[in-house]
Amino acid sequence: MKAGLTERLQPAREQPVHGLRQCIHAITSRNSSALPGVAMLLIVLACNAFLQPDFFSADSLSSNLQNAAPVILVCMAQAVIVLLGELDLSVGSGISLINCVLAAVPSLTGWGTAATCVAALVIAVAAGVCNGLLVGYLRQSALIATFATGAIWFGGALLLMPQPGGAVPEILGEWFAMRVGVFPLAAIPVLAACALWALLQRHRFGRRLIATGSSADAVFKSGVDTRLVKLLGYVLAWLFVFGAALCISAQTSSGDARLGLPYTLNSVAAVVIGGISLAGGRGSMLGAICGALVLVLIGNVVYFAGIPSNYQEVFKGAVILLALGCTFIGARKPA
Amino acid sequence: MSATLTSRRMLLLVLVVLVMVGGQWAVPGFTNADQLGNQLKIATFLGLFGISQTLAMMAGGQGLDLSVGAVATLGGIIGAAVINVAPAGLPVGLPLALVAAALCGALVGVVNGCGITVFKVPPLVMTLAMASLVDGGLIVWSSLMHVNTAASTTLVALAGRSVAGVPSIAVLWLVAGTAVWWFLDRSAWGRRLMATGANPTAALLTGARVRAVRIAAYTASAMIAALTGVLLVGYVGQAFLGLGSGYVLTSVVVAVLGGVSLGGGRGDYIAVAIAALFITALTSLLTALQIGEAGRQCIFGATLIVFLTMNGWSVGRRAMAA
Repeated sequence: MKAGLTERLQPAREQPVHGLRQCIHAITSRNSSALPGVAMLLIVLACNAFLQPDFFSADSLSSNLQNAAPVILVCMAQAVIVLLGELDLSVGSGISLINCVLAAVPSLTGWGTAATCVAALVIAVAAGVCNGLLVGYLRQSALIATFATGAIWFGGALLLMPQPGGAVPEILGEWFAMRVGVFPLAAIPVLAACALWALLQRHRFGRRLIATGSSADAVFKSGVDTRLVKLLGYVLAWLFVFGAALCISAQTSSGDARLGLPYTLNSVAAVVIGGISLAGGRGSMLGAICGALVLVLIGNVVYFAGIPSNYQEVFKGAVILLALGCTFIGARKPA
Repeated sequence: MSATLTSRRMLLLVLVVLVMVGGQWAVPGFTNADQLGNQLKIATFLGLFGISQTLAMMAGGQGLDLSVGAVATLGGIIGAAVINVAPAGLPVGLPLALVAAALCGALVGVVNGCGITVFKVPPLVMTLAMASLVDGGLIVWSSLMHVNTAASTTLVALAGRSVAGVPSIAVLWLVAGTAVWWFLDRSAWGRRLMATGANPTAALLTGARVRAVRIAAYTASAMIAALTGVLLVGYVGQAFLGLGSGYVLTSVVVAVLGGVSLGGGRGDYIAVAIAALFITALTSLLTALQIGEAGRQCIFGATLIVFLTMNGWSVGRRAMAA
């Protein structure tokens, strides 16, 4: 109880970094919360490599990456928002909406691939702005406000695609499955998202984002418009959601309004496995990526271990519960 | 405080009346006795799940119980199976089923509560993980054991009977709701729960056993969800996987509309009950207007946002960075 109190009273951490040693210290301390997640990832990775015979071949790495890319992106989106001290329960139905836009717009309007993608991007950013306005400016509880907007996105997706079907521009799928040498093109959206995040970490906005999650009150009193930070944070996250939807659409090459729904809760679980505090301001993107990979690889392990399909659900639930237990026992010692 | 409480109840009540009047105007026969009785039945289940959610949210620490759906399915399947296995002719089936369902629920609730208080897992994540574990367990169980989970005649009668036009389960809801209101508003335990949610440190210092109170809240929440699951089997006619999953997020919405604070320590079950009536009336109005699922989802979400925004203005602004 007391620990929780002092944690909240601590001011935002924005100390300058001098010298290599301090720099290394800063990096490891910032990422220390991700340690249980990294450890778990290594364990799952080892199991997977043991069970899947050609795990390290270029083909299976590439296909695993294609499965993982959307999950990683949506978990990164959730991580941005959780670091901001909020939550977004509408990312899943947002993916559905973008997917349905990509699949329905070409046949409805006759637009080309580029125009369709731009339309989908505009919708993604608009959704982010909408959530950001509700949470930042109208100060609604993120949980309930994004649940409500999620219902609207889902309704929009159903409006566009009452039944699964349609066709996503084929070129997306071709690019997504392509490989240049050993480098799969499916990695590009993920790498772009990571680069964007790394860039922002060097920038004032990235600091303000984490500081706002850590103590919005203190940041507001030091003269930063936290409402704007929250709005921009949501927009950033929805750029990642757009990337995730693009990957999923490229993979399935058709539209389905219920496609994205499971991603919402998976993204929250991955963020927590990755050691990001749901109270905000604590954790690292590395953790979220590890959490996402753990979720994807658990699916693989369950499949390759030949566990009967009846048992897969309970096995996954148990592993996630175990992972959570480890995360929180590991995180109990003061940082 | 009391002014905002009554204004919340009034606002919700006005909304219910508005939906009813609008429904009668748009769809003649929307408010006849049959329709009202049926709506009351649907609202009963939502209201009962609302009790679960209210208790978990009141306990504070971003409390939330997202396992109510899975637990209701568990309770429903166990309850229906026990009734069908119990010897016919003796009136022991129903009590046994209720006890069995409550015990299973309590087990899940204790695990939830311990995870949240002892291991400090955030409630959102803990209850979600438990839900997936319970759901997975039920898949395994139903693939190994082939038990008859059709609702027995006793259950169907319990959920379907009406006394003078009022469904008997609605009476049950009235009794349960009154008990919850008394518990939260009038009893020392309720005060302790509120104090725990509002300020755990202060509650600890004044002698409330914060951990025990929270574990008890989650246990009660899961038990009520499991018992509601048994009733739900009677209403639906068959226990199946995913029986309660539709109620998870709506129960949260009902509790939040009813003014239960996600921060904990604040809540009024009467407002939650009226919110359950409102959501039910709104949903059935949209169905009666033959609006497809797409339109229903959009209108549902938009109504929620409008209500939240309105409420933010009427209750007054809280501190800048609450």
